[in-house]
Amino acid sequence: MPRLGDLERAVMNVLWDAAGPLSVREVLDALPDELAYTTVMTVLDRLGAKDMVQRERAGRAFRYLPARSRDEATAEVLHAALDEAGGDRTSALVHFARSVDAAEAAALRAALEEIERGAGT
Amino acid sequence: MTPVALGLIGLALALPVPALLARARWPHRSPAAAIVMWQSLALAAILATSGAGLATALWLVTDEDPAPWRIVAHVVVLGVGLMVWARFWWAAWHVWRDTQRRRGRHRELVDLLGEPHGLAPAVRILAEQTPVAYCIPRLRDSRVVLSSGALENLDEESVAAVLEHERAHVRTRHDLVLEAFSVLRRAYPRVLRTDAPLRQSQLLVELMADDAARRRVGDAPLARAIVALAGSRTPAGALGAGGDALVRLERLRDADRSSWWATTLAIAISCAVLVVPTVALAVPWMAHALEVLLTR
Repeated sequence: MPRLGDLERAVMNVLWDAAGPLSVREVLDALPDELAYTTVMTVLDRLGAKDMVQRERAGRAFRYLPARSRDEATAEVLHAALDEAGGDRTSALVHFARSVDAAEAAALRAALEEIERGAGT
Repeated sequence: MTPVALGLIGLALALPVPALLARARWPHRSPAAAIVMWQSLALAAILATSGAGLATALWLVTDEDPAPWRIVAHVVVLGVGLMVWARFWWAAWHVWRDTQRRRGRHRELVDLLGEPHGLAPAVRILAEQTPVAYCIPRLRDSRVVLSSGALENLDEESVAAVLEHERAHVRTRHDLVLEAFSVLRRAYPRVLRTDAPLRQSQLLVELMADDAARRRVGDAPLARAIVALAGSRTPAGALGAGGDALVRLERLRDADRSSWWATTLAIAISCAVLVVPTVALAVPWMAHALEVLLTR
């Protein structure tokens, strides 16, 4: 039984790869694991609460589609990550290294050469 | 005298002392001790300023039969003091809640978009060419995020260096250090505000994490990782604060390791700025004021 987080990701990937809105049954069939119908329902509800999935009524049932495309979601993550590197002092994220300008990049490479030489001897 | 002395100490600790400490070089060799020092300076500044307010308020009413203006001034000083305190905690609450919300949202998205990586359970790989590496610290279930673009730029040892660096951030709760200084910065009145404590502690936690990484994987892989990730093409509009990467690299280059005397001195000063004003000024004054008020 996969963990809930993995299931959410798998369901999101199914919806992102789909050409249009999918019913619960269609999502279930597209998933590699044998899952209960209610499990998929639960996962879709959770994704809806996270504002990742929208649903639209189709006859008596609902059909589900991503609230934002995979590219849009990636852009949101990247924007948050890079925006903070831009100088927000109250960051939520801790970056490994922030980008530098060309002059500084050259100084960095010079210092690196010295370190590599030092390590080599 | 005491209110004035405490006020001056508070002012000195708020502006000139941080400016001096920000220019010093020894913190790069003893980052942990330097963080302790920044923390104790900040705490001492708050204590001295609060003490100055409280002492002034008490001084106003320690006369035999205080004049009406003194009582009014007493109430005003206490009122302003309370407002400053309320503002402080309000700012603290805001920074904390805002940060938690942004982190929570960010982690949700990363968990949905990122592929787990065999290296460690908390690592997520984003399918994205822009090289990024960062951690999302949380009380439980922190995440380390690497883009596939970053992975392509790194050899195996450098990846280990990045992961070890980020794990050190998470393990040692560096986010809490930074959050405390974010709160302080936002809570201080604008005239007394300085970027130095937050700015410097941001650098110092990087140095601490670097030390953890170099202990595990050595200097060269860490240096390669810093250069690969900082010196890579700049994503539009995301030019960093700069400077830090070069400081970190020069530190790896000059085998000038930690210095015990700087560490010892820093810890001693950190204790002194907290203890000396309290014992020498605040406690005798409060005792005196209470005595006057109680015996009346």
